[in-house]
Amino acid sequence: MPPSYMEERRHAALEVYEREPVPTWRRSGFWTTTLRHLRLDELEPRHYEPVGSFEELPGDVVDALNGEELAGLIVQRGASTIFTQVDPTLADDGVIFTSLERAVEEHPDLVEQWYMKRLSEDEGKFPAASAAFWTGGAFLYVPKNVQIENPIQVVYVIDEPGTAQYAHTLGVVGEFSECYLREYDVAPDFEGQALHAGGFELYCQAGSQVKLAHFQDWGSGEVYDISTKRVEIGRDAHCSWVPIHLGGHLTKQTLDIITAEKGSDMRHNGLYFTEGTEHLDLFTTDLHEQGNTTGDTVWKGALTGESRASYEGLIHIVEGAQQTNTYLQTHSMLLSPKAKADAIPSLIVKTDDVSASHGGTVGEVDEDQVFYMMTRGISRQEAIRILVEGYFEPVIGRLEDEPLEALVRERIAGKIAAAEQSVEEYIAQR
Amino acid sequence: MSLEIQNLHVRIEEREILKGVDLKVSKGETHALMGPNGSGKSTLANTIMGNPNYEVTEGKIFVNGEELTEADPDDRAKAGVFMAFQYPATIPGVSVANFLRTAVNARREEPIKVKEFGSMLRANMDLLRIDPEFTKRYLNEGFSGGEKKRAEILQMAMLRPEFAVLDETDSGLDIDALRIVSDGVNALRGPDMGTLIITHYTRILQYVTPDFVHIMLDGRIVREGGSELAGELEEKGYDWIREEVAAGAA
Repeated sequence: MPPSYMEERRHAALEVYEREPVPTWRRSGFWTTTLRHLRLDELEPRHYEPVGSFEELPGDVVDALNGEELAGLIVQRGASTIFTQVDPTLADDGVIFTSLERAVEEHPDLVEQWYMKRLSEDEGKFPAASAAFWTGGAFLYVPKNVQIENPIQVVYVIDEPGTAQYAHTLGVVGEFSECYLREYDVAPDFEGQALHAGGFELYCQAGSQVKLAHFQDWGSGEVYDISTKRVEIGRDAHCSWVPIHLGGHLTKQTLDIITAEKGSDMRHNGLYFTEGTEHLDLFTTDLHEQGNTTGDTVWKGALTGESRASYEGLIHIVEGAQQTNTYLQTHSMLLSPKAKADAIPSLIVKTDDVSASHGGTVGEVDEDQVFYMMTRGISRQEAIRILVEGYFEPVIGRLEDEPLEALVRERIAGKIAAAEQSVEEYIAQR
Repeated sequence: MSLEIQNLHVRIEEREILKGVDLKVSKGETHALMGPNGSGKSTLANTIMGNPNYEVTEGKIFVNGEELTEADPDDRAKAGVFMAFQYPATIPGVSVANFLRTAVNARREEPIKVKEFGSMLRANMDLLRIDPEFTKRYLNEGFSGGEKKRAEILQMAMLRPEFAVLDETDSGLDIDALRIVSDGVNALRGPDMGTLIITHYTRILQYVTPDFVHIMLDGRIVREGGSELAGELEEKGYDWIREEVAAGAA
């Protein structure tokens, strides 16, 4: 039997889910994110049998991980955890890495202490849905003073249309511990609808050093991703978070990073590339709850086809958070005449002695740069690929993760090649 | 084997800049094209390279007998033409070394071996007295004027073109940088390369002696001669040419 607190939370979430209508997100101006084409009733959680070895995992997962050495790996297909592998030496240090479902059974007190500490079922229909319906999930607990070298990997894969995947990842990194957590959200190309509604929460306790990367590539299927991700950083702790969005029919995500105590420091560098008719709507908040905290947020995106991408980034410094030093920048590059980008940095500052700056730009490929490269014998398509890659390089380089960097570069190159014709038409007409 | 320009007329937007230019640069020759600001020198360089902002309304460009008047810039590069830019573009996020490797590979069937590329790069950097750290920097980002011009000559050295057009490569250089760039050009010139040095000043020609000098005025080449013409121009200035041309026309 699951402990009663979990049943209570699920029940509370279900109430919210049933009460709330399917939302539409509107902002002043032209931007609307609507779910009117989502046929929620036709989607359902799908269950799968576990697999016995890495090689038996879905091909897209195997490809994305490419034989890399990992400290741990949890793969969730649809609603089911199908694979769990953990470096056995981690248990000696007291590290727990298992599905959240099992953690609730095996470590009920520990889960209760942290579960949904910074997430709430009251945030809307889909946060409530993932809180009410999640299955599988992932739980990482690193006790204090533990260093884990290799990445700890969570994968959520959807490989059939009609799937509703409700996910929840909970991570706790103890005092002065160091680790690298990666979450991949992937799907092969398929025809039809699917939904990923995810909750993600990570707590970096005092003095810890944490790297975090999200890699999303839902392929060309009609995958809706409505997720909330939140990271809390404790005293003198540091977290570097790189979310990468490379595809999804419609993505609506809230990504928040909270410097919660003095001396906490965050880096938040994101990247997106949209194509076709994809719709991406990101809202990030850098919340500074105490003074003497620092932040560095840089987001870069590129758009082809008729895709739409909106990035809204808020710096929020609460009253009394003196000596906060933070900045936020967002850039978008349009590679198609029919693509639309929106970049909105904003500030809420409730205290006086802080340094906070922000800026946003939307740009296009510079024809002078293309000409310059072509005079060196480089084709137009290659020149554009190099320019886009160079544009993303400051973010990709910050991953400090060669396999993931290579994966991101390869996917971006593929998307540029696919968009070659529309990009060329666009540049030729300017 | 030559780069040949015949009766070239070029427009930018609605304005005619080149009004019938003939020029032939054969392999092994070094030509200087001189002229005051606005005479059309850079337009000629950009048109040779196929800059889409310049419209050829009449005339032809040949490289080794092949007509390239309408060719894309990358095809001209592959035919052996190179231009060192007066104002090279900045390519953020792309290191000098990566850019050079891509450019070298663009004209090869098989990509160059890492070792071979490395030793080629080192040799050329020694030649131009460039610090190895330089190649890790993003191309032209935050470069000084002299560094940009050296990066241009380094590209020329790596790509070994058959015909090189140096568009005001000497402008904005102090004497040390000018000497380094000139030494580089001198080291690369030879029977396998034809060079067209475009300049406002005679300064670079004290280091790189041209075989032929052409003077351009108002979109036309109005005087041609040997290297002594540069000396005469230095002494008498562009007004002298202007007056001579006016007198000739009268």
